[in-house]
Order: sequence, then C-alpha cells, then structure tokens
Amino acid sequence: MKMLVSYMTLGYPEEEQYLEFVERSVKEGSDILEIGVPPKYAKYDGPVIRKSYKTVSGKIKDIWSLLKETRERVRIPIVILTYLEDWVPTLNDFLAKLYSIGIDGLLFPDLLIDYIDDYEEYVKKIKDAGLKAVIFTAPSVPDPLIQKTSTISDLFLYYGVRPTTGVPIPVSVDSLITRVRILVSNKLVVGFGLSDTEDMRKAMRAGADGIAIGTAYIEAIEKGGVDEAIKLVKQYREILNEF
Amino acid sequence: MHLFISGVIVAPMVVDRREEILPKYWYNIIPDLPKPLPPPRDPPDAEFSRIDLLRKIMPKEVLRQQFTVERFVKIPEEVRNGYLNIGRPTPLLRAKRLEEKLGTPAKIYFKFEGATPTGSHKINTAMPQAYFAKNEGVEHVVTETGAGQWGTAVALSASMFSMKSTVFMVKVSYEQKPQRRTIMQLYGGEVYASPTKLTEFGRKILDENPSHPGSLGIAMSEAIEYALNNDYRYLVGSVLDVAILHQSVIGQESLAQFEEYGEDPDILIGCVGGGSNFGGFAFPFLGSKIGKKFIAVGSYEIPKFSQGNYIYDFPDSAGLLPLVKMVTLGKDYVPPPIYAGGLRYHGAAPSLSLLLKERIVEWREYSEPEIFEAAKIFAEAQGIVPAPESAHAIKAVIDEALKAKKEGEKKVIAFNLSGHGLLDLPNYELMMKRLSK
Ligand SMILES: Cc1ncc(COP(=O)(O)O)c(C=O)c1O
Repeated sequence: MKMLVSYMTLGYPEEEQYLEFVERSVKEGSDILEIGVPPKYAKYDGPVIRKSYKTVSGKIKDIWSLLKETRERVRIPIVILTYLEDWVPTLNDFLAKLYSIGIDGLLFPDLLIDYIDDYEEYVKKIKDAGLKAVIFTAPSVPDPLIQKTSTISDLFLYYGVRPTTGVPIPVSVDSLITRVRILVSNKLVVGFGLSDTEDMRKAMRAGADGIAIGTAYIEAIEKGGVDEAIKLVKQYREILNEF
Repeated sequence: MHLFISGVIVAPMVVDRREEILPKYWYNIIPDLPKPLPPPRDPPDAEFSRIDLLRKIMPKEVLRQQFTVERFVKIPEEVRNGYLNIGRPTPLLRAKRLEEKLGTPAKIYFKFEGATPTGSHKINTAMPQAYFAKNEGVEHVVTETGAGQWGTAVALSASMFSMKSTVFMVKVSYEQKPQRRTIMQLYGGEVYASPTKLTEFGRKILDENPSHPGSLGIAMSEAIEYALNNDYRYLVGSVLDVAILHQSVIGQESLAQFEEYGEDPDILIGCVGGGSNFGGFAFPFLGSKIGKKFIAVGSYEIPKFSQGNYIYDFPDSAGLLPLVKMVTLGKDYVPPPIYAGGLRYHGAAPSLSLLLKERIVEWREYSEPEIFEAAKIFAEAQGIVPAPESAHAIKAVIDEALKAKKEGEKKVIAFNLSGHGLLDLPNYELMMKRLSK
C-alpha cells in the first residue's frame, strides 16, 4: 500500500485544532505523521510553512507536553521535523528526550546541506539514541549520495522535488522521480510542495512509494479550518489507493 | 544532381557541418557535482518570498530549467535554429602565432564567442530565455545592463522572436558607452538610463539625488519592478545556474570540435564575472571527464576568489532574488571601476562556487596592467582584440603556456574567448595612455 505521510506544524493553528487534525488525519488514512517543531530559521521551508511557524511561535506553552499529548493520541509512527542547526549543542539530550516520550524518528532538512561532511556521524547518533533517522534528499543531491543515503535512511527516503516547500516552481515530477527510483533501495516518499493531484498520480506511476503533504493542509486550515484539511487527507488517501 | 551556380558546378551540400557540431542538448552539471548543491533560500524573517517572486518574473520554462537536475536538457528546435541564425557554432581556433611568440611547446586553442553578432557569449542564454517567454505568450521582456553586453544580447533575442524589449542601462554606462546603446536601439530595444522615473524605486532614488550615476543593483531592481507591474518577463544574464546551462552550448560544441582535431585539452581556462561563460565552456568537459586542470580567472581588483567567503548571499545588490550559497565579497561590496565591466561582480555562480570550494576548479586573479599586456600580446599575434574580460583568461593562458615551456611539456591549453573588444576601444585607449611606458 502506498504511504501517506502527513505533515503538521506543532500546535498549528491552536493546540486544540492541531490535536484534532492529527487524530482525524490518522483515522482518514495517514500512515506516518511528520510534526514540525518551529526552528529559529526555517531556511529550507517555503512561505506557507514559515508562516505557520510564526503563527505558533510564542503560543505553544510547552513543546514537550504537546509532543507527549500527540504521542498519546495516535499509534502510527511520528517523525519530528526540525533543523539540526538548533540542536547541535544539546543534541544528545534532545534525542534522549524524544525517545523517552515515544517519538519514533527524526528528520533534519539541513543535514545533507549544512552538515554534509559529518552527516554519517549524526545519523549514527540518532540511531544510537533508539530513534529512526529519516533522511531528506532533493534533486540537487548527486546520484552516488542518493544511493548511499537511501540504504541508511529509516522508514523511507524522503525526496523533496521542489527547491522549497509550498512554492509551485514548475518541475517535471515524473522525470525527477524516474531518475532516483533506480538508485533508491528503500521506500521512496516524495514531497515538498505537492498539492496538485495529477502530480501525485505522476509520482506514483514513476515509482514513488508514498507522498508527503504539508503546505496543502496548512493552506486548507487557513481557509476552512480542520474540516477542510481533513477533506484533503481523504482525497489523497483515495488517490493513493488507486495504485 | 548538381546545381549550376554562376558558371561553377557544385555538388549539393548533403549535411550542414554546422548542424552536426551544434549540440542537441545543453549539459547540466548539477547531478555530477561532488556534493549536493545548496538550494536557494529566503532570508530569515523575510517579508515576502523571493523564491515565489521568481515565479512571477521568469518565464516558466526558464524557472523549470533553473531547478532541473536532468543531466541533459533538450535544446528546442527553434532555439537550435536561432543558434544557427546567429552563426553558431562559433569557431574553435588554434592560436599558432601566439604559441610561436611565446616559444611554448604547448598547443593553444580558443573558442571564439566574439564571433556572435552581439560580440559575446551572452546571446547564448538571452535567446533561449526570450524564446521560452515568447512561447508562453509574453510580448515584452525586460532586463538591466551594466557595460551593455547583456542588454545587447537581450535586445537582439527579443527581436528575433518578434518581442519588445526594455533595457535599464546603468546611467554612467549609458553616457559613456553610446555605441552599446545605439546597437540596442538598432535591434529595436527601448533603452533607459537608470535610475528612471518609470519605477517607484527609480523615482525614490532620483528624489534623493537627481544626478545619481546609477548602479547595477538599482537597474536590476527597476527591471524587476517594471516586469512585475506590466506582467512582462525578466531575463537573467548570469549567476543563476540556468544561464550556465544554456551557455553549455559553448563547451558542447567545443567537445565536438576537439574531436575533429583529434585532440583532448589538458587545461581549460575562462574568465569569471558571474561564471556563465566559464561554466558554459568548462563544465561539459568536466562532465565528460576530459581535461586535467580547470582555471577560473577573476580580477585582482575584485578579489572574490582570494578574499570572498563561501556563504549564503544575495545574487543582486538590491536583495530581490533568493539567497544562494556562493563565493562572494558581499552584496554591498562596491567594485572599483576597472575596464572589464563584466567582471565587476561580487559573487560566482553556486555550481562554480562549489567546484572552487572542492578544489576541482582552480582560480587566478590578475590586475589591470597584467591583463592589458596579455590583451596586447594576443592582439598582435592573432589579430583579435579581446574584450577586457576575456583578456583575463588570456593572461592565465600565457602563464600556463610559459610554465609548459619551462617544464618542456606538450600541454594542450584551451580557453574561452568570451567576447571581442571592438566596443571597448575607448577603454583600451585609456589603458594605453595609462599603462604603456
Ligand atoms: C565579454 C564578457 N566576458 C565575460 C563576462 C563575465 O560574465 P560571465 O562570468 O557570466 O561569463 C562578461 C559579462 O558581462 C562579458 O561581457
């Protein structure tokens, strides 16, 4: 079965609605939850996600209790998305804490960009802490590195097809995926600015094992609240079930 | 069948050799880089998304190509015809007299981009960008120009596809380089001395200082604002990787031409402003694993290689484009007034910067007196007056050729002669007065 990886910014737009989205999205077919912990500088995120970080910043009382609450509400794997840059000085503590509350894994979008020379060391640290290391790649990652990281990435290999989330830069989704499919010996989840349903079908036909959605949900919540976002979860689930 | 033309019997040409050498694909180095290319990003706490802005000002296909990771990108048939129309392939020539003059055992070849009608390589990306704009129903393209090479290329490209063009030319250049302005106008371009009253940005500058001399950053801001307000499209001259992609036509042709010579170059050299002619020439060789040494040449007066940092910075001094990771002196760096206007730029394209950082590409920096002497030696030997920008590459060629002489090695040196200097004669005259003893 194809995987639906659903992203939400921690506590967006308010804690209550956030938890409602999380719970209902799992009921409607999300397979993995990706929860964004607002970083100091969301350098590789697009304007919509950046705005969502702004909305919640200062509003979340305690990220740890909210993460714990999230964990208690759902059973599926939870992967935290945050920037390594913010945690380098306190990484071991951070990892231990995530593990202790039952978070499954971690994804650092800046790992292969800003920490390329030490990425293996960081992956090992994550794994040694008992967490799953999900590796984020992009079209600009050279072939040999995609091949190598795909074998060490846990759960799946994340492949972002756009230079930044949520800006519909025109890309040929299918040819981008075709290129990496043969290199990836792992589940391949495609994301970053996907919202066009035809692009999703193209991604599946080109061999993706799943899609990761974030910006589209946040825009939907902005427009029509949680109900609107849940409609999308249902719709995406149906599309994935075609394959 | 034979054709009878003015008394001479000629065999019909079966294949146009030019069409064989002209590549069908552009080469993109991104998938062959040793490390991931750091993506563009918006600055922290940005009020608007610069990445989103690109979407509004660039033709869609150009933007798609900017972010493509396909190793080879097909050149549309219309663009190939456009390349033929402007006389591509440009010649790859042997600089035999220069070799003799230097007494070097090395062989020296140069790709002559000065052979295009606009006199430099800039047309290689202006033309496809104009084509893609036209294809999307755009009727009018806009850009800025400093010294005038880029603006000239845009003006011609727009006319080739029956579009209008507006060029914001830095006011000092507008006044000092009337010939460039005239060419652009002959091609049908509208040329304005920037700052202008046509944009809010320009008006603001003029309010503060009515006799402002202008700058590339101001001209660029005006061009972008003008494009946005009128729903025209903006064409980008260098630095962004899509410009290097299109410029790869230079290296792709050179590969085929070297094959005809039965020769593989050992050393590849080019000058660097933003990196488009160097990358366009050298990257296809890198990708084909031909060549042992790659030398990017900058100006001593604008010491980005020796003193720049490899950091995220704005490609434009106005800060309207997304941040990219590159070797840079900082967007607010004010370059001194050297005559090689095309090298007065604070950074180098992200892909080239990464290759410099990884030491796959070496660099040199030469001063104005050094490049003036090199230009003179080359002109005396080969008859071609090089653009002052290209003369930087020539200086590195001479140094490498003399090194080969000292070491008694039969190296094959190839360089890109990015443009001729026939519209830079006033500059040469000033250099002669100042530098000849
Ligand atoms: C003749 C010539 N050579 C070189 C350059 C430098 O630009 P780039 O490094 O993008 O090739 C310019 C730019 O104006 C130019 O006109």
